[in-house]
Amino acid sequence: MTTQELIENIGLKPLSQFEHREITGVFVSDMLSDVMANAKSGNLWLTVQTHKSIIPAANLVDISAIVVTNGKQVPQETVDLATRYKIAILSTGLPTFDLVGKLYGLGLRS
Amino acid sequence: MSECQHQWELTNIQFGFVVFEKCFHCHELRTYFSTEEIPILGDKYREGNHYWSRVENAQSFRFDLLCTKCRLLEKFDDLMGFLHCTSCLPECEVEILQKKYEAEKTWLLVAFGFLPQVKTKPIPTYKLDMLTDYFNQRRDTSRSRIKIVPFDLIKDLSLCKGDFIHDVEMLSLEPPKGRKPVF
Repeated sequence: MTTQELIENIGLKPLSQFEHREITGVFVSDMLSDVMANAKSGNLWLTVQTHKSIIPAANLVDISAIVVTNGKQVPQETVDLATRYKIAILSTGLPTFDLVGKLYGLGLRS
Repeated sequence: MSECQHQWELTNIQFGFVVFEKCFHCHELRTYFSTEEIPILGDKYREGNHYWSRVENAQSFRFDLLCTKCRLLEKFDDLMGFLHCTSCLPECEVEILQKKYEAEKTWLLVAFGFLPQVKTKPIPTYKLDMLTDYFNQRRDTSRSRIKIVPFDLIKDLSLCKGDFIHDVEMLSLEPPKGRKPVF
């Protein structure tokens, strides 16, 4: 599944400008150290964190897209940095648990 | 020189805290890795002529690199973490390099060692190259690449406002207001 298909299927809101790419799996974490240690290239990263430092962390491990859940407001600084790195930041009002259920239903796995 | 085309993986991963301490007598700063479960901020103690106080804890992790082909193990006890350049100092070598490499779709990160040791014993270049290789092996390099550079390229550490990639203030959902200098 690509990020474009994901956005259309679930109704996620793109916040940054980015290049669509294939999603290899899903990673759920709110800790940068956990992402850097354990996330895989192409993973979709679900988080409630919106600090600007999520962008270099995501870029370091080649995340395909970051989904900010629970309707958290993403600062423009974070969005601008994501655009610069061509990393997708997607937003949803869904709680992380509900989104994981939908992603699992679409066939995505960890 | 090894003939092995190393394929690296993380090993000996340990989660913990990077602790920042400041001497309120001489203002010297030091950092170290701690595996304490609950590091105490504001903890003060005397050590020789220094009066140390913990000023910040950052959740982080440490690791070694293991070659899956030849089993060479390279330890990274001296690596404190990575810093993302925020372009705060236009004449800084890191910012100059960052602009150059960005045009080639290569993203720079600065590798920091622990203070004060790293000032006299910087992380060797070959280890930075290993880190660069590892993170590039972990990504689709047709899209972009990573380059790890040494911290001594930073023009003025006391003015640097780079962002460490670790979980300081990530315990709050609200982003920090303003950007304090790194040190």
